[in-house]
Amino acid sequence: MKTLSFRTYSSIALATFTLSFSALSSAAQTLNVYTYDSFASDWGPGPKIKENFEKLCDCEVNFVALDSSVGILSRVQLEGKSSSADVLLGLDLNLMEAAKKTGLLAEHGVDTSVVNLEGGWSDKDFVPFDHGHFAFIYNAETLENPPKSLADIVENQELKVIYQDPRTSTPGLGLLLWMKSVYGEKAASAWSTLASHTVTVTKGWSDAYGLFLKGEADLVLSYTTSPAYHIEAEGETKYQAVETTEGRYPQVEVAAMMKSAPNKVLAERFMSFILTHDFQSTIATGNWMLPVVDLDQPLPEAFAAAMKPVTSLMLPADQVAEERKAWVNEWLNATTE
Amino acid sequence: MNRLIGISSLLPAMLGVGLFVCIGVFSLMALLRYSDVAEWSSFLSQPYLWRLIRFSLWQALLSSLLSLVIAVPVASCLFHRSFWGRSFLLQLFSVSMVVPSIVAILGIVVVYGRTGWLAQISGIELPLYGLTGILLAHVFFNMPLAVRLLLQVYALIPTGQWRQAYQLGFDRWSAFRFIEWSYLRKALPGAFVLIFMLCFSSFAVVLSLGGGPKSSTLEVAIYQALRFDFDLNKASFLALLQVLICTVIALFVYKLAPVNHQDSSLLAQSRFSIRDSYGAKALDVIAFLCVLVFVLPPFIAILDPMFSTQFLQTLSSLRLWQAVLVSLKIAFPAAFISLLLGLSFCVLARYCMGRGKLDIWSTKLEQLGNLILMVPGLVIATGLFLWLRDLGLSFSSSYWIVVWVNAVMALPFVLRCMMPCFYQQERRFRHLYSSLGLQAWSRCKIEWPLVRSSVAQAFAFALLLSLGDMGVIALFGSQGMVSLPLYLFQLIGAYRLEEGACVAVVLILLCLGLYVLFSRIVGGRWHAQG
Repeated sequence: MKTLSFRTYSSIALATFTLSFSALSSAAQTLNVYTYDSFASDWGPGPKIKENFEKLCDCEVNFVALDSSVGILSRVQLEGKSSSADVLLGLDLNLMEAAKKTGLLAEHGVDTSVVNLEGGWSDKDFVPFDHGHFAFIYNAETLENPPKSLADIVENQELKVIYQDPRTSTPGLGLLLWMKSVYGEKAASAWSTLASHTVTVTKGWSDAYGLFLKGEADLVLSYTTSPAYHIEAEGETKYQAVETTEGRYPQVEVAAMMKSAPNKVLAERFMSFILTHDFQSTIATGNWMLPVVDLDQPLPEAFAAAMKPVTSLMLPADQVAEERKAWVNEWLNATTE
Repeated sequence: MNRLIGISSLLPAMLGVGLFVCIGVFSLMALLRYSDVAEWSSFLSQPYLWRLIRFSLWQALLSSLLSLVIAVPVASCLFHRSFWGRSFLLQLFSVSMVVPSIVAILGIVVVYGRTGWLAQISGIELPLYGLTGILLAHVFFNMPLAVRLLLQVYALIPTGQWRQAYQLGFDRWSAFRFIEWSYLRKALPGAFVLIFMLCFSSFAVVLSLGGGPKSSTLEVAIYQALRFDFDLNKASFLALLQVLICTVIALFVYKLAPVNHQDSSLLAQSRFSIRDSYGAKALDVIAFLCVLVFVLPPFIAILDPMFSTQFLQTLSSLRLWQAVLVSLKIAFPAAFISLLLGLSFCVLARYCMGRGKLDIWSTKLEQLGNLILMVPGLVIATGLFLWLRDLGLSFSSSYWIVVWVNAVMALPFVLRCMMPCFYQQERRFRHLYSSLGLQAWSRCKIEWPLVRSSVAQAFAFALLLSLGDMGVIALFGSQGMVSLPLYLFQLIGAYRLEEGACVAVVLILLCLGLYVLFSRIVGGRWHAQG
């Protein structure tokens, strides 16, 4: 009798243990975050964010690293409603309309009043997570008279310029909009002036920046925060951003959650986590961009240049979405004549 | 009865070819399901599209002609002369085609760029960005490939002909005219089509070194439609257009091409040296100089980071070895599948050979295998994914999609490696085998020593191609699936260019190592000669 009860007890105990274990493992759920590769990489902000969020949520963060922000979008479009993505992290301003149109995104419900961007933030589908401005970078040791404006860059035939193809890269698209907001109707002729001293137009940022560092051009299209990388990581101060008097075109990187998120509750928690210190403090020296909320501690000295107040030139999102194709064609025609 | 057994033993091969065709057709159909044919005519009315097609054709024509014109004397030189470093050079040649384009581009820039070696040494500044840059890069990628293909043709020349040439006191020129050329000219159209396709769909090179949208290719438009706009309609239209253009060109070239009737007397080659002359020496020196100019310097530039202090640090990173592992996990199954598919094609093609009505199928099969080159990997992968998604299988399958697409993309190279050798065995031994009633396995056992080198080389090629693949993995990458090329891009994307350069060295050394392993050890020493 006794042995029997012992057996019963032990089997009950075992069953409870198994149950609780399986309950535990289902509690430790996985949050799938689709992002671009350098964000998720070891030296990017990804690992720190994963650690910080996992402390709060009793869950596991799984980054799915895709090759670019465009890659994130086309991946979920490919997967459609059956996607295993909970959160998309790394789309940018100019992809927002396209992403909304897919009908795959859910409203985030996060209070974005803490966002410290010019004009605040009111979008219901996207939460911004970092920002910066596009800028042309030059090497101060080899370029003695750097240009002072976008018009200088366009008109000075001595300057050799590399930028990215707006059909295949987000910085390239950023420049397209930058030119449009500065030149408006006259953009076509500005493009053809620029084309006469353009070294090459590359597929993506990596090719362009690589060519620039190899000394192939005086100027390359990148971000205002690029010099900060060289200062912080390499102690190199010769790379600087061209001051553009017309103002700069902003890049804001955003996150969104999926309607079909397998793990909705976690996704919502993660969306509000984005605007907290634990997330934002990893951005500057992890992703080499600026945080979107005020932090207790100031950013490293190296970011001083990137933090300077500038006029943000920004075209309305719906206009961008509507006219992008026409503007790309304008660029194509102007640069191939 | 005997005939029936013959056909039933072909079943696995039919299954292989059938699988290849079915999956291809289904993935294209999946893409077409999302397209709206009514809109297609409006795409055709864009003048930019036509400019793009014109430029694609023009640069592909120039690139492939240039690669072949240089490859012919280089192959002849490499065949006739043995010198120090020759086999290393040949191995380097096999690797050059799999170097990720961004790495090759930066290598070429180090050599020919504004502040490059050429400019520093000679003060000559090439107008690199534009057609020059594209041609330099395409010759860098494809001339070595052409040399390898031509050397295989050399391996088919029966020893008897060399013996005779030796006895008659031929000099190199007569040997070339009377012996080599008659073999080469039959192989050149095939090589031309292969390289033409590769250059026609070239993408990263054209965008980086082309200088601007003026020189762009159809592939860019496809990439853009698929990745940027997710416009499946436009992507499938452009992909079909690309297939159409390439098919027309391929058919045209094949129409003009003489049929290669191989001699069947070859067993193993012994060397007969052809009379040397100053003219021949001079030509060889020129051919070799071409190699020294086009292929070696960018390679040295790519391998240069090996001597930096960063290199050891890179080697000690765990991430690197994880990436190596992932790459191998993709490359080995891909190469294995590619080899199985290739064997299916070879076995069927040679069965059809010389059997009356079936005969034309032997070339048709080869062309079918090559067809895959005309469709961008991205299109195949997307189609395949959509199809599997409709079947509800997509998530677990992304790894296998990467493997499969890599496998089929390597198929044309696998076929090029194996087909000539398989045809030859068939010619030589068909009657013997059928009179002895030897089938299937027993035939395999007899033939293995004769075909092993070409099989091993095909495997090595497929392995290298999958190892260097960037396109498909980028579409389906995830945390657990960061391959070596993807890791390279992560580093470059985070400004870590130097570390990226070191990873590129690791990738290339890995390719070299695996190539030597498979072509020498599995393929046997005999092959290493040619």
